[in-house]
Amino acid sequence: MPQLSFHRVTGAFLVAALLVSLDGCALFKRGPRYTGVDDDRVNGTPLPERREGVSFNDPGTDKSRFAPIRFGYESCTISPSEAGKLDEVAHFMRGRGREELIIAGFTDERGTAEYNRGLGEKRAGAVRSWLLVHGADKSRIQTTSFGLEMPADPGHNEAAWAKNRRAEFGVTQ
Amino acid sequence: MMSKSCFAILALCAVAVSNAVPAEPPTITVSKSDTISLALTPIDGADGAAVSAVLRNDLMLSGCFSLTEAGKAGTVAGGSSDGGSLHGKATDHSGGTILMRTYDGGPREKAHAFANDLVETLTGKRGMAGSKLGFVATHTGHKELYMADYDGANVRQMTRDNGISVAPALSRDGRVLAYTGYLKGYADIYRIDLAGGARQRIVKFPGTNSGAAFSPDGGEIACTVSKDGNPELYVVGAGGANARRLTHTPGVESSPSWSPDGREIVYCSDNDGSPQIYRISAGGGRGEHLTTGYSYCTKPDWSPDGRRIAFDIREGGAFQIAMLELAGGPVRLLTGADDARDPAWGPDSRHLVYTANGSLIMLDTQTGRKVKLIDGLGSISEPTWSR
Repeated sequence: MPQLSFHRVTGAFLVAALLVSLDGCALFKRGPRYTGVDDDRVNGTPLPERREGVSFNDPGTDKSRFAPIRFGYESCTISPSEAGKLDEVAHFMRGRGREELIIAGFTDERGTAEYNRGLGEKRAGAVRSWLLVHGADKSRIQTTSFGLEMPADPGHNEAAWAKNRRAEFGVTQ
Repeated sequence: MMSKSCFAILALCAVAVSNAVPAEPPTITVSKSDTISLALTPIDGADGAAVSAVLRNDLMLSGCFSLTEAGKAGTVAGGSSDGGSLHGKATDHSGGTILMRTYDGGPREKAHAFANDLVETLTGKRGMAGSKLGFVATHTGHKELYMADYDGANVRQMTRDNGISVAPALSRDGRVLAYTGYLKGYADIYRIDLAGGARQRIVKFPGTNSGAAFSPDGGEIACTVSKDGNPELYVVGAGGANARRLTHTPGVESSPSWSPDGREIVYCSDNDGSPQIYRISAGGGRGEHLTTGYSYCTKPDWSPDGRRIAFDIREGGAFQIAMLELAGGPVRLLTGADDARDPAWGPDSRHLVYTANGSLIMLDTQTGRKVKLIDGLGSISEPTWSR
């Protein structure tokens, strides 16, 4: 039935579009490699200048306003289960408030310390990309990475590691 | 704790000399002909005993010598030290002088210089005595930076920030220490000029700035910078100016290390799904994947002679140190299942330091001999070695 197959195609398209938009990494995955060009901005949106004297660990930064986003092992893909939490943040960052958001990326304790600093930053970047696609104001969002430092759970088991692979939100005035 | 580690080294030295059994079983057997038989006669003079002890340890750590009695040795080294100058001398089997030189400074300094001259005179290769180590340790409950002499002596704490100070990198001349610090709440790259102690924050773009590596001439720093929205490899001037971007991938680039001629950089990237080793021109361009056969490879370090890349691999949750010869040949695993990470080459392109279970270990890649240099400082990680 043509009608059904039309719905099927539309449905598949919507699912695909949803998956792409849910996956911060997929936004610029496997594109052509751009080489030798300074200030190339194809694979990312540059961060705004930092505001000196304001950071994620400051006492004035509200870290409990939004729930952390969880990640899979060695992954920076945002899973559909996290979309509800991200919607709340995106709604807040679409508003006219003057608050700024610092997204902090973390990894579990396994793996190389320096690589984990990069992986944490990429997780923060994936969350930021999701928020930008959903209308958040890019001039009010910073990213940072603590890698394997500051675990949410000090344990050395799968349950602790799952809690530690995360991006947290700090809201600053 | 320092005296304990010094004692441990002396004890290892004594064991090696008395019965020629290495502290740990070597992974590669070395025949006697690979080492030069050398007799060290006690250094006379006021600080002669102190000089002798350091010199003996330097010669043992070099891996170039089998220390033996005067009658059996091809070369005899000795001298006198009156507290001011060390008059060092070495003679060959026929009694001819092959080295005679005067050294000034403290007992350790004089001994290191004499040891390096013995290595260079007898092997034609560079010695490593007198070089410096940097590393992270958690002794205070925070990750702080430390330095030590290459033999594990003179451990000293460099930062007291009660925060996170990590990823240290010594310049090749050992005069500047760069590292990643979170003093301002973000990961920024700092440099400490060791002579005066002045500290500057030099790479402070938005996002994360980390993983500094000095170019061979000390004029530039390669590092990871995420200001464009993703962690990429950059080269900046050693003062932080003139940043230029090398990579353009959606992956994470980390842990750059320069070739000795400064023309290329080896680094880690997970752009193809898992962390792998790549090399790229220091001017930019496309990164070339180095085939290793392992799915998780990080922390590459280019040897000072340009011939080898050391890195770590992870298999089944445990890390090992691996080595790739750029001329070709299979990747060699250098350590067993002792969770060895973060290798850094010494000046002789033969020895590596790495950490395993919180201790700092020196490995002779030629013989497989391991010497524990430092422990008892909490957990040690991310060592760097001057050249």
